[in-house]
Amino acid sequence: MSPSAQFELLAALGYAVLERTGPGSFRALGSAPRWLPKGPVTDAFPFLELFLLDAEEYWAYPGGRPRLSSDLWTQAADFGREMHFRAVAVAADRQLLLIERVDSRFDQAQAFVQYAHEAKLAEEKISKLSHELARATEAKSEFLARMSHEIRTPLNSLLGMAELLSETELNDEQREYVRIFRRAGDTLLNIINDILDFSKVEAGQIQMECIGFDVAQVVREAIDIIDVRARAKGLAVSFSIQPELPARWMGDPGRLRQILLNLLGNAVKFTEQGAIRVSVEKLHDELHFAVSDTGAGIAADRISTIFDSFTQADVSTTRKYGGTGLGLAISKRFVELMGGRIWAESAPGSGSTIHFTARLEADEGNAPEAAEDAPRPALDNLSLRILLADDSADNRFLIRGYLRGTACLIDEVENGAAAVERFQSGEYGLILMDAEMPVMDGYSAVRAIRACEIERGLPPTPVLALTAHAFQEARDRSLAAGCTDHLVKPIAKTALLEAIARHAGKPHAEAPIHVEVENWLKPVVPGYLEKRRGDVAALESALERRDFATIHTLGHQMAGSGAGYGFAGITAIGAALEESALASDPARIRRAISDLDRFLRNVVTG
Amino acid sequence: MLKKKICMVGQFGVGKTSLVRRFVDSIFDERYLSTIGVKIDRKDVCAGGTDLTLMLWDLAGEDDLAPLNMSHLRGASGYILVADGCRAATLSKARELQQRITKMLGPLPFVLVINKTDLRDHWEVQSADIQQYGWLTFETSAKEGTGVEEMFLALAARLTGDRAAIGKSAES
Repeated sequence: MSPSAQFELLAALGYAVLERTGPGSFRALGSAPRWLPKGPVTDAFPFLELFLLDAEEYWAYPGGRPRLSSDLWTQAADFGREMHFRAVAVAADRQLLLIERVDSRFDQAQAFVQYAHEAKLAEEKISKLSHELARATEAKSEFLARMSHEIRTPLNSLLGMAELLSETELNDEQREYVRIFRRAGDTLLNIINDILDFSKVEAGQIQMECIGFDVAQVVREAIDIIDVRARAKGLAVSFSIQPELPARWMGDPGRLRQILLNLLGNAVKFTEQGAIRVSVEKLHDELHFAVSDTGAGIAADRISTIFDSFTQADVSTTRKYGGTGLGLAISKRFVELMGGRIWAESAPGSGSTIHFTARLEADEGNAPEAAEDAPRPALDNLSLRILLADDSADNRFLIRGYLRGTACLIDEVENGAAAVERFQSGEYGLILMDAEMPVMDGYSAVRAIRACEIERGLPPTPVLALTAHAFQEARDRSLAAGCTDHLVKPIAKTALLEAIARHAGKPHAEAPIHVEVENWLKPVVPGYLEKRRGDVAALESALERRDFATIHTLGHQMAGSGAGYGFAGITAIGAALEESALASDPARIRRAISDLDRFLRNVVTG
Repeated sequence: MLKKKICMVGQFGVGKTSLVRRFVDSIFDERYLSTIGVKIDRKDVCAGGTDLTLMLWDLAGEDDLAPLNMSHLRGASGYILVADGCRAATLSKARELQQRITKMLGPLPFVLVINKTDLRDHWEVQSADIQQYGWLTFETSAKEGTGVEEMFLALAARLTGDRAAIGKSAES
């Protein structure tokens, strides 16, 4: 093919072929494509001003390179269109400049890059949204905690005063008013608790406990609570449990009781006559609970939605029976956290049965019978001097009212600083401490009191935090500050008196724990227990350093060795330590250390 | 007529092409189209009494796959650093590019542009972040046209040495 034929071919393929005639000077070879304007190429294609600098160098010193290519460039064309080009300098017999239309290659390159850019932008957007969501969830939790605190504080006074009022001399009419008053307050408290529970579940903040408990006892406790309401409607509540079922299981008895209370509460609410039955049996490797009633029943098309939040089987239900519609949604989440499922069987008019299962393991350890059988210390016999720190005069008045008639003497202060000062000058058997107070808050006050005790070599005084903060974090914060226990307002009189008696009378309340040790082990048991006493100090110091690895190792050793020596209690505590160390949960670790300490102080081998 | 080459530089997706399009053609297109290589436009302006042609070199945005081709900046009289107000990382990228360009070409006149004022509710870039550099800065919306012309003219005025025009544009 002749050179001119070759240039014609290149032109037909969309190339403009130019020959360099001098620096910055070119002439077209073959027929020039229509898109190549007349005149200097750099006027038509400003991009070439830059490329030609490199091309001139290349033509002067090709260095064996067959060609030099430019980057792609884009220029506006008529009617808002765009043209895409690339230039190639060639050094052969002649010095050539090829300008190539690369529209289709450009489209491919752009599709590829655009895909990468859009993916990256989407990723950035998702990450931003997820941060915003996390911030919003945090703000919601904070708002709920604050709201819960604000509602609980006055509710504490209302419910407490109603309780005290009911203990005074009242005529029948007044008694009825107070009864309604108290019931309404209890309902309000239940609603607040439901909403809090639900929001905690939603935020994934609920952690199931794993402790040994008696399943029949939990069911009976739930029935006891509901029984008054059932009997008032003339409903009988019965309970059956599979006879060969192990009595003790590992799990979260509090949450289990809550689920049962929810289901039993609904059964009583929606049943006008007949009976309610609770049954527990083992189904495959799960515990299966069923709560049946002879009530209104649920229509088939509603059965699938009753476990959704804010849903009741019928909107008119809310008007007739009240409630937030959250009970079953919360129960469903709790059941799921226990590895089980929940479902309903019903037909309108023939009652309903709500079934749920829980994947629990039987508790092989020793039942803490001795401790449970120990007589509860009665506050009546306890002559106790109590220091009460609370900035609310209403709350102080209420606590004073609760303790009237006991042998307790109360000194009252309005803030943490005054509490520390009083503590230093007086002898107190117990301290009740509000969290949020002016001047000095309760947490700082407890820390100061603990420091003072250590300095003087005094044994720790029981300090009960008494706050309207209901979240687990508030409890952790109290215990971390050095409080002995955390009580949540509103608190019923009996609950407060029981807590005071439990903690103030502790040395007397602790009954010996009898453990039978096999004869051949008897010589080594004292050494084993002594080593565990050493572990208490090691654990406390590891906890202070937040050295979870050491806590895990010590827990693991205890879990592995305890039962072998006959101390199932030590194995259980060791397992709890292991788990809570893995979860880096200081509050649970602290509880486990205190359980271990108590066990070691009270264990008696035979 | 005097010709001045101005380069648009910044992270991909900040709106470099849209700013040029708004300035040259008074058009905004919602579609995002990645620039490949270089896109060249021209616009005649009058800055501080001087007529000049701005040759606008819109350089492909830098991304993880391809760094900015610095050789395209040769011969530029100034440049426009573009960041997206909704993406804080694009401002750091602008800062980094400014350092690289200064290292290669010496101190060239430039302006910083924080684009997308129409999405101000979603901005991550705070005015304190912008002010810390002490650069001549414009907040623009290629979509709504806000601040776009002022920004280009301010840089043009800088190139012609008209201090009064720079100040006037910056105030607006």
